[in-house]
Amino acid sequence: MAGALLGSAGTHDVTLAAIAVTTGPVRHTHFRIGFLVVILVVLAVIVYLVVRSRERRSHHHGQGDDSWARQPPPGYGDPPSVGGAPLSGDGARPPAPPGGEAPPFTRGADGTAPAPVGSPLPSSPPVAAPRPRRQVRLEGEPAEGWAVETTGLTKRFGSNVAVDHVDLRVPRGVAFGYLGPNGAGKTTLIRTLLGLTKADGGTMSLLGEPVPARRREALAKVGAIVDEPRFFGHLTGRENLLMLAAARGGGAEARIVPSLERVGLAGRADDKVRQYSMGMRQRLGVAACLLGDPELLILDEPMNGLDPAGMHEMRALILSFVDEGRTVVLSSHLLDEVERTCDAVAIVDRGHIVRQGPIDELVRGAGSSVLRVECAEPEEAARLLRAAGVSGDATPTGIGVDVALPPDAGREFIAEVNRILVEGRIPVYGLQEMRTSLEEWFLSVTSRLGAPQ
Amino acid sequence: MTWALVRTKLLELRRRRGLMVVTALLTIGLPVIVLGLRLAFHAADPKSYGPAGSPGVFTALVEVMAEFGFIIAAVVGATASTSDLSEGMFRHLVITGRSRLALYFSRLPSASVIVLPLVAVGFAALSFVTAYAGTPQPATVSINGVNIPAHLNEPELVQWAAAHPVQAALATGSVSVSSASASSGGQAVSVRPGRLGKGGLHALYAAYLTLEATQGNPTASDMTKIGLWLELDVFVGLVVGLGVGSVLGQRTLSTVLIIVLQIIITPIFAAHVIPYFLNGQRIVVGVALDQLRPAFLNPPTFIGHRVRGAILGRSGLEIPPMPTWAMVLVIVGWVVGWTGLGAWRMATRDA
Repeated sequence: MAGALLGSAGTHDVTLAAIAVTTGPVRHTHFRIGFLVVILVVLAVIVYLVVRSRERRSHHHGQGDDSWARQPPPGYGDPPSVGGAPLSGDGARPPAPPGGEAPPFTRGADGTAPAPVGSPLPSSPPVAAPRPRRQVRLEGEPAEGWAVETTGLTKRFGSNVAVDHVDLRVPRGVAFGYLGPNGAGKTTLIRTLLGLTKADGGTMSLLGEPVPARRREALAKVGAIVDEPRFFGHLTGRENLLMLAAARGGGAEARIVPSLERVGLAGRADDKVRQYSMGMRQRLGVAACLLGDPELLILDEPMNGLDPAGMHEMRALILSFVDEGRTVVLSSHLLDEVERTCDAVAIVDRGHIVRQGPIDELVRGAGSSVLRVECAEPEEAARLLRAAGVSGDATPTGIGVDVALPPDAGREFIAEVNRILVEGRIPVYGLQEMRTSLEEWFLSVTSRLGAPQ
Repeated sequence: MTWALVRTKLLELRRRRGLMVVTALLTIGLPVIVLGLRLAFHAADPKSYGPAGSPGVFTALVEVMAEFGFIIAAVVGATASTSDLSEGMFRHLVITGRSRLALYFSRLPSASVIVLPLVAVGFAALSFVTAYAGTPQPATVSINGVNIPAHLNEPELVQWAAAHPVQAALATGSVSVSSASASSGGQAVSVRPGRLGKGGLHALYAAYLTLEATQGNPTASDMTKIGLWLELDVFVGLVVGLGVGSVLGQRTLSTVLIIVLQIIITPIFAAHVIPYFLNGQRIVVGVALDQLRPAFLNPPTFIGHRVRGAILGRSGLEIPPMPTWAMVLVIVGWVVGWTGLGAWRMATRDA
């Protein structure tokens, strides 16, 4: 075919299918002018494309500095109202700074002192120091409504019930853990909540908006990562966010740069996502969540694939969101992570919730916290304690006595135990409060230990 | 659907360097390379190489562009509709709360903005070279290898036939050829023209008119019609690609199916009458598009001889044509049907 298209030798005209036509004089002048014009047009287009590409590149690099952060776009970072009413209590959002617009993501960690704009990641408290948890009440509907509420939510895949009549209530302004072993139905519940898949039964609402009836209104105030965050690898981080901002609308495009700065990706925003590490992708996922300045963040296994430093940063980020008054629902199978980060938790196993409530309450309610006393004469010590009417079972051990801690036991209880033993002339070598960890409790209430609740 | 959605989807497609290079090569590169070489050869040696543009090259390149244009448009369409799924962005997009239908319908203009202008540029280059660096209008019309002067009316053609009975008979094929062994050992061939009756002369004139119209350079009107037909062909490919991609969710499988449709099924259905299945053949969109193709591209089949060769198996409709309303219905049906199917699948798919 190529030969036919390119022509044939001789004085005859050149055609594909040997049409015999008699040529007249060849119009060389037209041909040369035309050829020249085509060449010039092609050259002009190439030059234009090269210049435009360079301009765009320099423009993008220019956006990487902190000038965007110093001049946040109008309206960005305004504290979202929750059903028209401000949040209160521990989950309260601080008001926007007086005398001007609130800069992006600068709600203070304690509601009073805003963090510096553009700081890459908020610092988190040392891991060893226990974080004071917010008071969470799950009884009675709060005035501002639930952040997430489901009633009898069910999702089946054939005969497999992935979400089994789940009744879930997540209060606003807290970090709420959705904890369960792999395959428990955590991601399916989240996908159902977000409208990624249809529910087979039950009702649900996000931030007071029934879903799916008012899905769009609900999701406008929600940011979410489901499973591992995946993006277009051939686009840069900034371009990926641009796509999502275009879909979200409502000024989301103006939040791209602050979001990237918030998660510490501003310096790599113009790199292709295929060059990102797993941790960077997770952070880009969080930045994508922030485009809508959400009241509710739903993060599905955000620690997956992160190294310890990355987990530390992500934890700090999540806590800072809660400190700003946002609600964070954290789905995870990492017990330790949920215990460190969340105020309340729902434990899910085989599609249904087996326990839910404030973490401290749940762990206390497990009734297995003990005061381990190292002392001489364990039998005598146990007898003394029983005789003194200590509210808690005292059991002698090889090294001393274990005293079961009542749910409302405070520091005074420990001091009282010590006083009784000392007054009974029992040498005391040590007192240690042994609280049941969430992990022990989790394993005891789920079926994974072979001991169904 | 908003402009921002269209713009960002366009950005996503444009950044696919490999796809863009192939698309540009098949839409612009192909005619530009062929014509560029022809221009260069002709400039270097005008005596050996004819002008770059000619009706034959024009037709051949249009057919190639239509064939490849349909396929590459379908590939771009399938890419546009499956990339979100395959790269995990669909979930992010759905979570924004944006209507899935809006997401689907934003893909059509985004992909169109890439493919349709590229085809237009390629066709413009072809038309430009044909008009300004092509052969002059031929002075003769060739029928079965016999050159008959151009611009004759019917009485003049009859007059010419009377003056050239052998050529007239060769042109119509009404000749008898006999051969006899000569004493020298070679063969002597004698050609005896048959008698051309009134009906034969009338048929000859009809063929003469058809060939005169198709062997000459395309007029501006021809080029406009062909350009529009080409764009329609490519647009249909794009819509089908989008729809099939959305339904299947896989670009590779969609592409393979569309290539099979275009390269294998359509040529067979357009060229051969399958007993009791004629209406089934007509439902294929390529068959309807072949029927719609402008007359300049249709190869005359006067007296059993095809004047232009078929490119990639397709060269126009060779089965009994369907009514115009049916042809329009088939094309519209494919566009609307695949759009509807694609949108439905997008709206109901688990993300």
